[in-house]
Amino acid sequence: MNVEILHRPANTAAKITLDPNEECTSEGGAMIAMSGDMRVATAVNRHTGSLGRTILTGVSRQIAREGYFLNTFTAGPSGGDLYLGTHLPGDMTMIELTGTTTLKVQSGAFVAHEQGVAMGIVWEGLKSMFSGERLIWLEMRGTGKVLINAFGMIYPIHVDGEYVVDTGNIAAYEATLDYSVTKAGGSWVSSFLGGEGLVARFSGRGTVWCQTHADRVFGSRLTPHLKPRKEK
Amino acid sequence: MDRNKTDYPYTVSGAPDYGMITVTIPRGKTLRVEHGAMAFMDSSVEMHTKAGGGLGRMLSGEGLFINEFTAPEADAEIGIAPPIPGDVDHMYLENDGMFLQSAAFVASAPEISVDARFEGFRGFFSGEGLFLMKCEGTGDLWFNTFGGIIEIDVTDTYVVDTGHVVAFSDTLSYEVQPVGGLKSLFLSGEGLVSRFSGSGTIWIQTKKSPAFVRWANSYRRVQSKKEK
Repeated sequence: MNVEILHRPANTAAKITLDPNEECTSEGGAMIAMSGDMRVATAVNRHTGSLGRTILTGVSRQIAREGYFLNTFTAGPSGGDLYLGTHLPGDMTMIELTGTTTLKVQSGAFVAHEQGVAMGIVWEGLKSMFSGERLIWLEMRGTGKVLINAFGMIYPIHVDGEYVVDTGNIAAYEATLDYSVTKAGGSWVSSFLGGEGLVARFSGRGTVWCQTHADRVFGSRLTPHLKPRKEK
Repeated sequence: MDRNKTDYPYTVSGAPDYGMITVTIPRGKTLRVEHGAMAFMDSSVEMHTKAGGGLGRMLSGEGLFINEFTAPEADAEIGIAPPIPGDVDHMYLENDGMFLQSAAFVASAPEISVDARFEGFRGFFSGEGLFLMKCEGTGDLWFNTFGGIIEIDVTDTYVVDTGHVVAFSDTLSYEVQPVGGLKSLFLSGEGLVSRFSGSGTIWIQTKKSPAFVRWANSYRRVQSKKEK
């Protein structure tokens, strides 16, 4: 699987080139175009499990705003191309997993992963809720490429020791890092008056991928300018 | 079809996010421009508004009127900024034709005929307009997209999400169909796609407006029944 990212950072699409019979799994609705002989299978889970587990996986993915179903694309006997896009203007980045690290991806940021990658769902607990991040994160393990997207531009930060990142802007991070949610300034008053509120203090060694913008923040700025909906 | 040939020297700036074209109209020549897309021009340029294309054009959502800009005395410059933020591309048609999605037309040489073609229920079921613009003849043609443009050369078959189709050579034929089996039709989130076959080029856009509108819609305030 070869990934070429086009038209960064505002109008990004990814061109994925697959070898003969190679597979790529993407979130539902991400496909823009593909070779004519590409096969598509829609499923809750690529690996078959018990019915209960399958439903649970789908439901948790729904809560994680990733959609219930995933599409697995399989290239034909001579290989093929697959173009994936995002719903909102924004960036994409490709992260290569080597088998040793686990990647945590903010729900909503997942676009696609290679055959050798397994995707799970993790509950990040209350710190996640207080920090304005999503409660549920996706966990990627295995070997292969993972494609993520975000509203705004994605930029990596290599952490060795400690680093502070604004909450709400974390797209993904390596699980060799841990974070705690703390106040931004010296006191709680200055943290909130300064508009920064809570921040994520990362510690350890690894990479955090941040996004320059959060769609929720932009969306809420649009609210006063949008025509209200009638209550039903 | 030739991308490099042109009768109107032009430059593209701001692409792929805010693409704008600056065209030099040679003396005595005329350029046809989508109404409302002119951003600036030399004061010597004369503008005429024409009702072109008739009813089909109006129904296709492109508007009934089109503007023609003429440089009567000397070569003159005109800047064209399409209303949708995105990319712009150019082709020089050589006695051949291409189809444009109805909102994609930006400008052309007057020798190019632009007709709205009723695509019937194929268009209806795909959620796109019922019309495509058929551009034919010999001369320059510019078109724009929402988001970046990706050009795909098709030699056999290619599948494109219908909402991402911007333009395609008239040598290609297409069918609207579900992406996979019945399960994929309802559950894959991909819905109906266009399957192109033959040999030619497809231009696709990286964004589609319905997706953006759906997102923005979720940020609308809910007005309670008591409010007026």
